[in-house]
Amino acid sequence: MLLDLITSEDALVRDQPLESACASLDKKSLLQECSQLDQFRRKSENLYDRVRALFFLAAIHRYHLPKKLSGEATGSIPFSGYEDLLERRFEKAIDTFLAGQDSQGASDAISSSLASAYHQLAFQTLADQVRKSVRTVRGNQWMFRMGHPANQPLRIRPELLEEESHLFPVLRELTPVRMDLTHSAWSDIFFLGMDYPEGARVINVSIDLAVHGRDDTPTPPVEAYFRVIDKPVLKLTSIDLKATAEIESLAEVFDFAKDYLGLLKAAVIASGIVPPGIEGSGESLADLLEQIVGPGHGIEIISSVNNIPKGSRLAVSTNLLAALISACMRATGQTKSLTGPLAENERRLVLARAILGEWIGGSGGGWQDSGGVWPGIKIIEGEIAGETDSEQGVSRGRLMPKHRVFDQDEIPTSSREALQNSLILVHGGMASNVGPILEMVTEKYLLRSSEEWAGRSTALSLLDKVLDALKQGDIKRLGALTTENFRGPLQTIIPWATNHFTETLIERAEAEFGDDFWGFWMLGGMSGGGMGFIVNPTRKAEALGRLQEIMLETKRELENALPFAMDPVVYDFQINQHGTFGDLLKGENSILPPGYYQLSVAELLRAKPETLSACERAELDQFANACRQDPRFTNSVQSLFDTLIPRIEEDQSEQGSLKELLKIHGFDSKQHEAIRRDLREGRIGLSQNRLPANTHIEDVLPEEITDFSQTSPSQDLQQLGQSALENGEVAVITLAAGVGSRWTQGAGVCKALHPFSKFSGRHRTFIETHLAKSRKRGNECGTSVPHIFTTSYLTNPPTQEFLNLQENYQYPGPLYLSPGRSVGQRMIPTERDLRFAWEEMPQQTLDKQQQKMRQSSRAALIGWARSSGEASDYTDNLPLQCLHPVGHFFEVPNLLLNGTLKSLLEERPQLKTLMLHNIDTLGADLDPGILGHHLQSKAGLSFEVITRRLEDRGGGLARVNKNLQLLEGLALPHEEAEFDLSYYNSMTTWIDLDQLLALFELERSDILADDQKKITSGIRKIASRLPTYITLKDVKKRWGHGQEDIFPVTQFEKLWGDLTAMPETQSKFLVVPRLRGQQLKNPAQLDSWLRDGSAEHIESLCQWD
Amino acid sequence: MKISKAVITAAGPDHQHLPLQTLVSSSGDTKTVLSLLLDEAFNAGIESIGIVIAPGTQHDFKSAVNGHLEKVTFIEQTESLGFGHAVLIASDFVGSDSFLLLVGDHLYLSSQESSCMRQLIEVASQENCPVSAVQATHESLLPYYGVVGGKRVSGNPRLYEVETILEKPSPTEAEQSLIVPGLRAGNYLCFFGMHVLTPSFMEELARSSVDSSGRLPLTPSLDANAQNERYLALELEGRRFNIGEPYGLLRANLGMALAGPKRDKIMASIIELIAATR
Repeated sequence: MLLDLITSEDALVRDQPLESACASLDKKSLLQECSQLDQFRRKSENLYDRVRALFFLAAIHRYHLPKKLSGEATGSIPFSGYEDLLERRFEKAIDTFLAGQDSQGASDAISSSLASAYHQLAFQTLADQVRKSVRTVRGNQWMFRMGHPANQPLRIRPELLEEESHLFPVLRELTPVRMDLTHSAWSDIFFLGMDYPEGARVINVSIDLAVHGRDDTPTPPVEAYFRVIDKPVLKLTSIDLKATAEIESLAEVFDFAKDYLGLLKAAVIASGIVPPGIEGSGESLADLLEQIVGPGHGIEIISSVNNIPKGSRLAVSTNLLAALISACMRATGQTKSLTGPLAENERRLVLARAILGEWIGGSGGGWQDSGGVWPGIKIIEGEIAGETDSEQGVSRGRLMPKHRVFDQDEIPTSSREALQNSLILVHGGMASNVGPILEMVTEKYLLRSSEEWAGRSTALSLLDKVLDALKQGDIKRLGALTTENFRGPLQTIIPWATNHFTETLIERAEAEFGDDFWGFWMLGGMSGGGMGFIVNPTRKAEALGRLQEIMLETKRELENALPFAMDPVVYDFQINQHGTFGDLLKGENSILPPGYYQLSVAELLRAKPETLSACERAELDQFANACRQDPRFTNSVQSLFDTLIPRIEEDQSEQGSLKELLKIHGFDSKQHEAIRRDLREGRIGLSQNRLPANTHIEDVLPEEITDFSQTSPSQDLQQLGQSALENGEVAVITLAAGVGSRWTQGAGVCKALHPFSKFSGRHRTFIETHLAKSRKRGNECGTSVPHIFTTSYLTNPPTQEFLNLQENYQYPGPLYLSPGRSVGQRMIPTERDLRFAWEEMPQQTLDKQQQKMRQSSRAALIGWARSSGEASDYTDNLPLQCLHPVGHFFEVPNLLLNGTLKSLLEERPQLKTLMLHNIDTLGADLDPGILGHHLQSKAGLSFEVITRRLEDRGGGLARVNKNLQLLEGLALPHEEAEFDLSYYNSMTTWIDLDQLLALFELERSDILADDQKKITSGIRKIASRLPTYITLKDVKKRWGHGQEDIFPVTQFEKLWGDLTAMPETQSKFLVVPRLRGQQLKNPAQLDSWLRDGSAEHIESLCQWD
Repeated sequence: MKISKAVITAAGPDHQHLPLQTLVSSSGDTKTVLSLLLDEAFNAGIESIGIVIAPGTQHDFKSAVNGHLEKVTFIEQTESLGFGHAVLIASDFVGSDSFLLLVGDHLYLSSQESSCMRQLIEVASQENCPVSAVQATHESLLPYYGVVGGKRVSGNPRLYEVETILEKPSPTEAEQSLIVPGLRAGNYLCFFGMHVLTPSFMEELARSSVDSSGRLPLTPSLDANAQNERYLALELEGRRFNIGEPYGLLRANLGMALAGPKRDKIMASIIELIAATR
């Protein structure tokens, strides 16, 4: 039956949503359907039929089957299948999981594994097809055949060899960036365009840009320079990233992540100068260059984007890639003319090469991104594959879209000017990763999810209306339409397209400009970065300034909650009428941008004069003359001086503030030095975290756990719990001291304050959601619930400030912030630990090119660790980014030390039980039944566990040498052991307060007396019995204009779950439903969390007011 | 179509002395390149030949024609204005006849009994249209040749209908517009240095204009001719030696020698030479 949705000739059947087709099927029928789909996808020759079947299978195993599996066995995931998955042997993994399903029966665990394998195989199949199509584009194929320098057919154009006074001419390419006026509902994703060419349409405008208040007038922001040099090397320079390199070997050209020159390298390869086919040949780069440029000569390529910040959503990097490719192609005779605009067929070739370059570089944009190569305003549309196309028989659409540039008759100058006079382009400053969004869009499209499919149709019809408004010059209507698009179809397809920052900006812009605010327009993948505000032209000048202020003010309010890469900026722009454009700078005019000389001249001055080539000497002369005569070079000498002499003072002041912070937050320097010594001498480290290899690890026995995952606790237990709640004997502790490294990839913002999802019509933070649950329980039992959020050096001040601003969300009960009392200083990792993490631990292998990028980047990071000093202090970042919290074990002892528990006991002397949970365990609430069970069991600590899914990694409930305990993933003697463990630790713990105090050899009176000595001594005793784990965490370093680097750093931690290994804690274990115990670790989980009913469940637990 | 005239261009500043180089022919005689070309042309049925030369070189050329002087006309190209110009100034010599165009720095070695020139003349006479000799050539050599795009004529695996001609195309251009079905990937039909051209081509050439460097190239007129009338390319059964390339004369000499009766002796010498050098 489900096969009809894929194979039917009738579009109405084919476009039926999967969810409605699955709704009426029971477990047996669903499994039968899965079996048929699996057989079909193995046999089908049609790419999209195969891919749709794969997505169907992934969705059934992720969303539909688990709901029908209640009462089934827990199930276990075959480790060999997991290994196959990591190694991208998807077919084999699927076979292993299916065999597991046959032998054990269907289970949530196996279904989660199958869902992941089918999902990854589907994307791999699509990506492979795009790559195949890129390779088969005519004009690209020869580059894959060429494997020896002697076979290089490209030759430099003779005009570029005509040197004057030792200065070779400079070929300059100026390229605008592009904006997508309609937001294409992400229809420019290659996978969509190739399956649904009719639905792939965008209005794409080439624009010149200036940062308002910084630059004079808008110019083409992307610049590429190409010239011959008198050295047989490939010299690459990125002015914006301040990176330059003289490359002498072919292997280095293909090493993309070694430095910041990956994009330039991709352009050199995609333009055919160093063709992809020559990779790994072991041949000489000098020989290759000799073939192209002549003996003793080389090529220099320089890029500049005039400091346009990263994340602008204007496809700056793709257009830079296109500009570089265009310059390289002109220089090597692959275009008819050396200068001027490109012909249409040449633009298409540049597009094909840019797609190739993005693939080679392991990145990937949409097919409209090279739009800056074309002039003015154009419509770009998918095209149905014809008989002679390589896509024929494979996909309905061609890889490359068609471009139609509108002339002045269709869109008159007055309309273009009207657009320029009303639209304000901005960069909100947020750093966002659109990768997961694009995957979600693809998946939803292929599943034809009903609402999203309707949204896509609406977005398509809006495009025609936008175009009509543009032709009429009716910008007010255009603004209304782009707003409608953003509010309607875009958020229907991807709710995460908006965020709290964007919503606040729109709200404030509306308040500021009233009827003169004509609309909002989202650029590109998601909002928060590049965006557009459309206003009445009479107020544009005012709006340019006010929007800057509003954005900055809003950013200041939210910068601890959301990841910002930079302060917001406003742009000036104008429509570019040329597209990419080349010119030749000769003789005295062959001068490069001033920023280039800051890098190159500094290098030349450091070199011995006798080693300089004739060209290099001429260049020094040229620079000296420019400094005297060219106004653009006015401050060049001073800047050069700054480059040559590093600014030591600033570094010292930063170090000063780091020291201050360490002192304030209770840094233990003796312990730190001991850890450093142990790390350096190899006594501790990632491999030493593990238990000895002969440790006996077994799964828990059924009689050792209480299972509430299928059945609710009895009425008696519920009553017992309810009474405790009514008596005010219970409080909640939410752990919010960590920075959620996985949530923002180490951006250092407070996860607790992140307005992660909309509930009841607006974005809510984690804190608000947890308080809403406590509010509801408190109201139900007639007694307010005390709620404590633990914090750390990083999260305490912003959380305090935020709660003040929100007036504690009007929470009726006692609300405490428990500040951290200990801090560690991050260290540069040891090479041994990096290699262990990257080479010994099982890793998800990436797609081929991405894997190459990762390996290259890891090699660079190992080099960084070695040169910076292994296990030395990590200080090259903002001071707060150099500290770390020391593990969640300490968060409960901190309550004792910092007086929070004392205050709580004074307020609630009857307090007996604490429920502790992670900030991201949204389903944890004061369930009376579970509380009743905990009370009745007399356990010191009752830990909640959930059945394991593939993504639940990091240990679990285990019998370790016959003793039942929670075993951390870090301590597992080998990876395979985890796959024998049925249950995963949710971290939610019910704590008997008196038993906990007894563990620390304390009584309530000690707490009330704030006997610090006794408390400290009790905590130390227990802490010393817990293992110390060494971990690697990612930390972001921000620099330049929105640039971010991620570094691995070493830190140590002690973990709460290890208390279970102490018999005196009287730990017990409960299995709870998945909806209660699952954690939100990564924003990419949000969409499935919304779709699988989790969000709805959380909403049912909350009372917002 | 009867082809009784030929034109050899030998006036280019870098090429004017190449036809005067001597080498040993397959039959063992020592001859100039020009003389070998003339021998082959007259043997193929050509009755008179116009040689386009640079000013001041006629004396040397006369002494290099080896007994064919009475059938040769020298045409001086006073200024070096391109290949097309060199052919255009032979207009008076060719009159309203079709003719065989050769370049003075190429030699040919047929792999069948009929010479390369004869193969070409026969096809042109039979098909009654202009025909260029071509050879399937690897893309790495594209920077040296004019390249033909087209499709095979049914029934004759070596004959092609010409659709496009580009001079020294980039591999990218070649892949986009010069792929010929049936050739190995990465191979293109490159000119062999030998064409049979018609009066209509000469008219086209006369109408064409000079390029940005003030020179008149040949290829654009060939391309224009292909758009206006039937134009064929013939893949010859033979080899071409471009003596203008580095070691071109040596290769030509060896090629000729290895095709003659002294093959074994030459092979032995080569092996001896290889063994004696490191």
